Amino acid sequence: MREPAQLINRYRWYEIVGIYCGIAVFLTFVLAPFVEGFLVSLKPLSQLFSSPYRFIPENGSFEAYRTMWESVPGFARYIFNSFFISTIVTTVVLCMVVPAAYAFARFEFKGRGTLLAAFLAVNMFSGAVLLIPLFRLMRTLGVLNTYFAMIVPGVAFLIPSAIWLLRTYMMRIPRELDEAAYVDGASHFYTLRRVILPIAMPGITVVAITTFIGSYAQQFIFALTFNAKSEYMPLPVGLFAYFGRQEVVWNELMAASFVGIAPAMIVIFFLQRYLVSGLTAGAVKQ
Amino acid sequence: MGQLKLDKIQKFYGDFEVLKSIGLEVKNGEFVVFVGPSGCGKSTLLRMIAGLDSTSTGDILIDGVRVNDKPPVQRGIAMVFQSYALYPHMTVFENIAFPLRVERLPEETIREKVEAVAKILQLDKRLHQKPGMLSGGQRQRVAIGRAIVREPKIFLFDEPLSNLDAALRADMRIELSKLHQDLKATMIYVTHDQVEAMTMADRIVVLNAGEIAQVGAPLELYHKPQNLFVAGFIGNPKMNFMPVTCTATDEHGVTVSYAGQSVTLPVAARPDLVGQTLTLGIRPEHLSLGSGDLTVTVTPSVIERLGVNTVAYAALPSGENYCALLPGSAPVRVGAPMQTGIRATDCHLFDGKGQAFERRVDWQTLDRPAVTAA
Ligand SMILES: Nc1ncnc2c1ncn2[C@@H]1O[C@H](COP(=O)(O)OP(=O)(O)O)[C@@H](O)[C@H]1O
Ligand SMILES: [Mg+2]
Repeated sequence: MREPAQLINRYRWYEIVGIYCGIAVFLTFVLAPFVEGFLVSLKPLSQLFSSPYRFIPENGSFEAYRTMWESVPGFARYIFNSFFISTIVTTVVLCMVVPAAYAFARFEFKGRGTLLAAFLAVNMFSGAVLLIPLFRLMRTLGVLNTYFAMIVPGVAFLIPSAIWLLRTYMMRIPRELDEAAYVDGASHFYTLRRVILPIAMPGITVVAITTFIGSYAQQFIFALTFNAKSEYMPLPVGLFAYFGRQEVVWNELMAASFVGIAPAMIVIFFLQRYLVSGLTAGAVKQ
Repeated sequence: MGQLKLDKIQKFYGDFEVLKSIGLEVKNGEFVVFVGPSGCGKSTLLRMIAGLDSTSTGDILIDGVRVNDKPPVQRGIAMVFQSYALYPHMTVFENIAFPLRVERLPEETIREKVEAVAKILQLDKRLHQKPGMLSGGQRQRVAIGRAIVREPKIFLFDEPLSNLDAALRADMRIELSKLHQDLKATMIYVTHDQVEAMTMADRIVVLNAGEIAQVGAPLELYHKPQNLFVAGFIGNPKMNFMPVTCTATDEHGVTVSYAGQSVTLPVAARPDLVGQTLTLGIRPEHLSLGSGDLTVTVTPSVIERLGVNTVAYAALPSGENYCALLPGSAPVRVGAPMQTGIRATDCHLFDGKGQAFERRVDWQTLDRPAVTAA
């Protein structure tokens, strides 16, 4: 049964219509490309350039999902690379950011404010601006054309925002919990592990998801610049393989895109289980 | 053993002196309550005893050992926070077991100890629930359980009951007093609520703006407040103060005049008082209808009838509030003049600086029933 809406949540019919119209407009812009992309992946290539253009495919099939593996044989490898790089990046970022965020949230130390401000400043440069210096650095270190070249810059550029995100979350955990643990003899690491980590789980999950997605997104530019070996290429670069000499195999390209994001979607689906809110209920008086 | 000594403790936050040279000794097994208005530095003092804040100057000694630089566990203290500070993701059992797990005690010992504590606090049926499912009183008991389980020498409580409703607070007061009798441990209890202080303390430490205003047994503070602050802080409704002029002093006391009446108060006199303006203090519950050694007629503006007694609020011509607590349903009306009588032996007298003249009464004889019963 539906609960009667609270007074403050009660709207007039035209307000509700307005709200839904607004939602519809934005959803259209967000979702239409996905729908269109999916429909394209179902069409035979010949139909794509028919005029008048038809959105609904005639005799559509999942054929492209089969042929895509044949026309670009390394595609599975690209998916794996992307997944692998993002997983490593996320793991490394979490390992570094969790203790760092705890320190930034709890301890007073010299240069704390400056460091935090510096992190924000770094975020204002996208990796792209720094590509040339980074390239020279990598070349000097001799790590071009390795996974390492794509992972390390990825980690470096994702850490600042992750620290900010998690620090804000941890500051909402009452300080008395740390103090109580300290009074009971727990060390900082014990407190972090037994008390803060479990409570901060939703925050950590958000950081994990944004880092994973961020890493997926930024691979393209790092891979293009720092990597020339096709066996290390991640998904976004791999998709270029469907851009043939004469024509773009649009239906396979779309199919490949959907298949390519699938692993990331699955990871996020599992992570979001930890996104439960209200974990601190009962910790301190509200 | 749990003996505590504070030696000239000072605390600065920047230039702001929060605590001004606090000196205090607490005996083993004593229940001492720090009471004072909000912001007077009670929590700061308690946190320094706990080892959560450092002192600016001064020493803290527990059982004769200087503990300034020791972490809380090594001081042998346990603390209960105002906000409970329970770990929300752990069950009641794990919350209570936390200090034991830190100590890495064997599982068997942990189970025994936690179950024993849970029994004392009537939490045995709740051990597998999370704090979020408990009521305020139960949460507070879990927090207390976590303190008890370590068997500390000294318990520190920071306003543990202030988040509970009035009825529960009264119950928990009684439980805490019982707990103190059972454990026989030293307890230091911070509150801004004078009822908690009066009912539970062996000794009360009244703090005012970072200084100790007075230390004493609850009834001692009630009968012999050493200054205006303690006189006004202890007792509800608040003590009435009226300006009087000293006319004479002798071995029987100080004679003062108020509105043309003269009365001799049995307090220890000091030289050179004649002509000075002093403050006479009289508790609302010591006023009676009709005339007395000193008679004051006022017109009540508000009357509260509580059944067991009647509270009449009025103002003196000089502007001070004047309140009378009369037994039962008293024959007083708003707007109608009320004549109140004051007995000289009930009066308190304070000098211009707010320091009391010592009353020539033995508070233990004033409250003979309480003392002989004890
Ligand atoms: N960390 C701090 N920094 C600066 N001032 C503080 C700090 N903690 C407490 N104070 C100040 O010290 C005074 C006493 O605080 P506190 O001990 O919490 O008072 P109480 O517990 O008696 O209400 C207050 O005026 C408060 O503003
Ligand atoms: Mg306080």
